[in-house]
Amino acid sequence: MEEFFQQLTNGLAVGGIYALIALGYTMVYGVLKLINFAHGDLFTYGAYLGLTLLTSLALTDRLGFAMGVLVLALMVMGLVAVLGAILERAAYRPLRQSPRLSAVVSALGASIFLQNTLMLIYGPRFQVYPDNILPAATLNIFGLYLPLMRVLIVLVSVLMMVGLYLFIQKTKIGTAIRAAAIDQDAARLMGIDVNRVIMLVFLVGPALGGAAGLMVGLYYGQINFTMGWIYGMKAFTAAILGGIGNIPGAMVGGLLLGVIEALGAAYISIAWKDAIAFCVLILILIVRPTGLLGERVADKV
Amino acid sequence: MKQKLLAAAAALGLAVSVTAGQAADTVKIGLMAPLTGSWASEGQGMKKIVELLAEQQNAKGGVSGKKIEVVTEDDGGDPRTASLAAQRLTTQGVAAVVGTYGSSVTEASQTIYDEAGIPQIANGSTAIRLTEKGFKRFFRTAPRDDEQGRMAAQTIGKLGFKKVAILHDSTSYAKGLADESNALLKKKGTEVVFFDALTPGERDYTTILTKLKGANPDVVLFTGYFPEAGLLLRQKKDMNWKVPFIGGDATNNADLVKIAGQEAAEGYYFLSPPQPQDLDTADAKNFLTDYQKKYNELPPSIWAVLAGDGFRVMVAGIAGAKSTDGDKIAGYLHKDLKNFSGLSGPISFDAKGDREGEVYRVYKVDGAGKFVLQKL
Amino acid sequence: MKPRVDVLGAGLFAAAMAVAPLFLNAYQVDVLNSIGLYALLALGLNLILGEAGLFNMGHAAFYAMGAYTAAILNTRYQIPVLWTLPLSGAVAGAFALAVARPVVHLRGDYLLIVTIGVGEIVRIALVNDVFGITGGANGIFGIGRPRLFGLVIRRPEQFFYLIWGFVALTIFLFLRLKRSRFGRALNFLREDEVAAEGSGIDTAYYKLVVFGLGAAWAGMAGTLFAAKMTIISPESFSFWESVVLFMIVILGGAGSIPGVLLAAFLVVGLPELFREFAGARMLVFGLVMMVMMVVRPQGLWPARGRQKWLAVSGKALGP
Repeated sequence: MEEFFQQLTNGLAVGGIYALIALGYTMVYGVLKLINFAHGDLFTYGAYLGLTLLTSLALTDRLGFAMGVLVLALMVMGLVAVLGAILERAAYRPLRQSPRLSAVVSALGASIFLQNTLMLIYGPRFQVYPDNILPAATLNIFGLYLPLMRVLIVLVSVLMMVGLYLFIQKTKIGTAIRAAAIDQDAARLMGIDVNRVIMLVFLVGPALGGAAGLMVGLYYGQINFTMGWIYGMKAFTAAILGGIGNIPGAMVGGLLLGVIEALGAAYISIAWKDAIAFCVLILILIVRPTGLLGERVADKV
Repeated sequence: MKQKLLAAAAALGLAVSVTAGQAADTVKIGLMAPLTGSWASEGQGMKKIVELLAEQQNAKGGVSGKKIEVVTEDDGGDPRTASLAAQRLTTQGVAAVVGTYGSSVTEASQTIYDEAGIPQIANGSTAIRLTEKGFKRFFRTAPRDDEQGRMAAQTIGKLGFKKVAILHDSTSYAKGLADESNALLKKKGTEVVFFDALTPGERDYTTILTKLKGANPDVVLFTGYFPEAGLLLRQKKDMNWKVPFIGGDATNNADLVKIAGQEAAEGYYFLSPPQPQDLDTADAKNFLTDYQKKYNELPPSIWAVLAGDGFRVMVAGIAGAKSTDGDKIAGYLHKDLKNFSGLSGPISFDAKGDREGEVYRVYKVDGAGKFVLQKL
Repeated sequence: MKPRVDVLGAGLFAAAMAVAPLFLNAYQVDVLNSIGLYALLALGLNLILGEAGLFNMGHAAFYAMGAYTAAILNTRYQIPVLWTLPLSGAVAGAFALAVARPVVHLRGDYLLIVTIGVGEIVRIALVNDVFGITGGANGIFGIGRPRLFGLVIRRPEQFFYLIWGFVALTIFLFLRLKRSRFGRALNFLREDEVAAEGSGIDTAYYKLVVFGLGAAWAGMAGTLFAAKMTIISPESFSFWESVVLFMIVILGGAGSIPGVLLAAFLVVGLPELFREFAGARMLVFGLVMMVMMVVRPQGLWPARGRQKWLAVSGKALGP
């Protein structure tokens, strides 16, 4: 039983990261019906930019741990957000009137480009965050080992997700985003600047992805230029699992995918872990064709 | 319409546009390496070392009075791309080929070189079967999985561990080593309490560590690569779990300690051919000095060094055979090259093209993150 | 575009291809072989994705089924590798039918992730040596060279005629199919599923059949791949392969056979051409893909006729 709870917490920590990245997929999809395959690479840029800023500005030395990391996170999120907006301008906006799969191919091209740019800038070797940044405390609650950082990862992820949810639900701009997601023409007639909404979505989604990249870098230490591909894939799966286009769905999907992976590995087989996760996904989609929280619309593509 | 036809014509023309010039006053040696893709760091390390060695050899007058020209092709770490890279090298008139990293990638190129009569020397390809197919011009500077498996079982015995957990990563290399070690350990009566594979390329391995801990082993034998080994060590320390880890030669990489952190890496054992740092031959010492002078770092991994050895062996082969004929070079390497002073210890080849003698050593990471040769 | 120009263009292309090996070296011919295999796979995928509009990003799974069927039959039972061609196609097709049956009704992107999942499950099963017959990560080696009319096919130019002969046959068959009742039904279904259903087309049936057919073609391409490489391993059937095929179909212009051929030349050929850039070759390739798509959003050589299905569902926006 103790092992079960341990594995459950292991899964949640992994799932928190998936969820944070999944939000970027789901927001873009909600408004543009576009699968942004380059989103995983924006996450990688978050990790790399974080490393560069951390080592070059020595923020944690100057401001202390908590303040330093906070400032660092804001800088990384800002930079990745700008990158996301540039990506939208260069690769997606010219294709907005075009067949929707064209944008998917453009996204894949962008993904290859972004990945290889990183390889050329930083070299192909693994990059490593300095390992004395984080307080390495490990909590021990009822015999469960819980490194402080893992708890923080889950907390921060959930906090960001709740913040985003409130932003979308309660603010005026959030309402505009929701309106544009439902019907762009009607939204425009109501005086909403849809282009701005899209730009905003491409700022917020990548910012969250960049934050996830920074967290992965800070906690796991080891980063490389291809890591966005795997994380992106998992996060996309999570977004679909929860019902793509749906923000609480991305959170639930992410956490659930993390837990499915952990429990599948623990009780069935580690080597088959990803296959088990996909099997569960397919079964869920057979029962609920639009994911767990997705709207049940008979909308045709 | 015109545009479309033009586009089609351009596409058709693309394959034709690449032509290979051939100058008679140079000897071309091919290097096939993963310059892009997941193993790019290995491939670029291979390229650096081989280029340095070629420069030095040319400064000494080249080989048989001719300058050496290294022709590098990217195999992307993928069999299909490798077969194209191999075809491309064969059409460029190379006398010999060094490479590559990854057994299945090497395997995809073996037949092509064989049919073209070009000798090949692989560096990072340890699967047993590569030298069991009877190719007469295939060699490798890397030792085989079975030898490493034997060494792993022996080392675990000598260190006195009774309950072993084996973890691999489902790659051809790691699975091969895990299977070899598993069979030998069981034969010796050592209990294997865990045998499974992680998914390489991920970041979080706590799930696996939790499961491993539940099996309560004396030691964990991890047969995969350094990025995962580093993460396992790091996360193991976070769990306050003190079990020792032993790894294979794919973890012999300076980045291992960086990833794990010095504290977590301390006490980690691994098997590997000796590093140039631990050899007291003039060749190894000079190589190290020159490499550091040129690139301002240590060689990134043992596999890159083994590619360097492959290059040096082939140069010796061409010089010794006084010819660039594939069969003559291969014949010389099989019969006449004995105890060649390699950067990874003495090199001689048996009839299959494998290295003779015991290549493996045991290393342990010390408190400062240095790899220290062990005497067991 | 007038039909006569069409025929002339196709004739010129065929003639150029037929004599190409005489002017090219072994490497260049082998690049063309690689292009041919991808063209074959992409033509099959084009039926599913281009003609019927079903998002499939797991085509490599069917490719793998065919390649492994051929390899297992050849290495275990010594069946000549080309004889396994129909069976490989059948196995891949049957597998696709079984998999697609419960999921084929899923909406676009959900089908996309399911097919990705199927691709990954197949790959993981192959890596883990499922049923003890796939050889795990090592794969299967020692596949025999194919024989045709007593001639052993081993050199690149010999494979060239085998592969491109098969491509030519495929184009011929698929053109007929496209113009048949079946092909028109597929296009109708793609443009407006509800209307198609309303006019008495059994949409589920058509979707399944086209899935099976496209997959069978991938299976046969797998056989040719196994015969050419003589060794196959799971890494040749990664998610990336499915992505590449997906890109070929969309870049060429979904539903367009000449477009798919052209895109196969570019997507497989360009990374080879960019070898000059060494480590930067994939970077340049990614950039070129992006630019080509932005410049020609309908695909490089779009199919004629209306293609409403591809349009953004969010309707027209200001630029």
